[in-house]
Amino acid sequence: MGRAKTLPRRLGLYIAALVISVYSAFPIYWMVVSSLREPTELLTNVSLIPNVLSLESYRNLLELTDYPRHFMNSVIVAVVAVLVTMVFSVMIAYAVTRQRIRGKKVIVGAMLYAYMFPPLLIAIPIFTIFARLGLSDTLTGLIASHLTLTLPLGVWFLWGFFKSMPFELEEAAMVDGCTRLGAFLRVVLPLALPGLITVAIFSFLLSWTDYTFALVMIGSDANKTLPVGLASMVGSFDLRWGEIMAGSTLIALPLFAAFALMSQYFIQGLGAGAVKG
Amino acid sequence: MSSKTTIYGFLFVGLAVTLALIVAPAVYAVSLSFYQMDSFVGAPKWVGFANYVAVMQAPEFWRALVNGAIYALGSIVFQVVLGIGFALVLNEAFPGRNLVRGLSILPYLLPTVVVILTFKWMVDGGIGIVTKAVEAMGLPPINWFESPGAAMASTILVSVWMWTPFVTTCFLAALQTVPQSLYEAARVDGTTAVQRFFHITLPMLKPILTVVVLLRAIWMFNKFDVIWLLTRGGPVGATENLAILSYRHAFNLFDIGGGAAIATISFALLSVAVLIYFWVFPLEDD
Repeated sequence: MGRAKTLPRRLGLYIAALVISVYSAFPIYWMVVSSLREPTELLTNVSLIPNVLSLESYRNLLELTDYPRHFMNSVIVAVVAVLVTMVFSVMIAYAVTRQRIRGKKVIVGAMLYAYMFPPLLIAIPIFTIFARLGLSDTLTGLIASHLTLTLPLGVWFLWGFFKSMPFELEEAAMVDGCTRLGAFLRVVLPLALPGLITVAIFSFLLSWTDYTFALVMIGSDANKTLPVGLASMVGSFDLRWGEIMAGSTLIALPLFAAFALMSQYFIQGLGAGAVKG
Repeated sequence: MSSKTTIYGFLFVGLAVTLALIVAPAVYAVSLSFYQMDSFVGAPKWVGFANYVAVMQAPEFWRALVNGAIYALGSIVFQVVLGIGFALVLNEAFPGRNLVRGLSILPYLLPTVVVILTFKWMVDGGIGIVTKAVEAMGLPPINWFESPGAAMASTILVSVWMWTPFVTTCFLAALQTVPQSLYEAARVDGTTAVQRFFHITLPMLKPILTVVVLLRAIWMFNKFDVIWLLTRGGPVGATENLAILSYRHAFNLFDIGGGAAIATISFALLSVAVLIYFWVFPLEDD
């Protein structure tokens, strides 16, 4: 706001920025540092910087627990959920923006409504239906339940995206002899790529971090995903904080990497209110 | 293939998926609430409104309603105040601003489980960093989860930390749309920074403030994972909201009809907030 900043004002600004940084990042720093301490040092030393860095907690986590298996389950669930979400949300969003369809507002409104559902409220009926279909405690069932989070998000976001894309582009392609499907695949999809990436990122985030559906849907240890697997490490035996913090760091890492590489999509999506939580 | 076939093909496939995954479960949830069921595969028995009567006669239900309101209100107020404050700071120009903006978003990216486990580790009674810091300052130890008030405060604290970035980002985007000429004109008139905040910034932020508060209210009121992981609704139900109560009914007490009845009541309460949302922000056609 101000142009000619006085010294005290500038100092106040720096202190405020420092406070925000420490408040936001310290717990994350502490998680990473704790995962890298030697397990013996972990329980005796609270220095801000560890004396020795050690990967022992990671080694224990990967060799002695089911973590690798849960990691694979999480990858499978999130990747499939993202792909399915992208295919169906593009179809719905494109259809409702490009055609005069009766009840279009109802469709979009229902999507926004569904996007606001708290997961637990829908978990009871879904679990009951899946139990009857024999899908309880399967990754397929978990993926289907994640679609109740990601699909409304995708449709809602892409609806806004397609709305702002001029019709003339496809019309020109269709005048030149393209079919509607051809124009969609060759003209619309490439132009919609930034929107698709944003949907992919946030669908991944929702699926990868989900605890509620995984808790309800998955019973056996073999089918657990990371959030539930990690949570069950607490209290299952003596508290191994080193391993737990190593496991936490490994869950968070893909998200931070994605954020570092694609922060403009994150900001854009957040600005559009793209994530519930 | 004609143009119309493609569009309607898309629409049909999309709607079929939505119907199966979202509409059907929602309708089914409501219908389950009228049946008595002791297991997820057993035969349901029609009981009419008996589940609703039973649920609403239990004092836990009303306690959960109040707890949900306290939790939602407490966490929203702090999220919004901190979020506006952070956005005002991050809107100023200073070296390293982009880095601080990036850092301020990080809590929002973390899975709930990670946040809760890290918090529990930091306040661990033996060796947690916060415990040690409190000790070093010569203060009495804090019992984060033992008393009802402390447990509620802990859940609010963790939730505020997790969701402040959402508010910060929304306000930061909105602040950038406030015309600078307004501030300049006000400055010429000799106003103070505080006056400019209350008379220019805040009124300009009002629309986004409404969206944020409504969305946060919808999501915080039925929050499950944070509370479940942190306190399991305890001690003695002090942090139990409707979502936790519903889960306990369906999955711990095997009273599936009762769980569905609580979920349906939550749906109804939630729908009021959603209708307000649609009323304030009607869907714009194209």
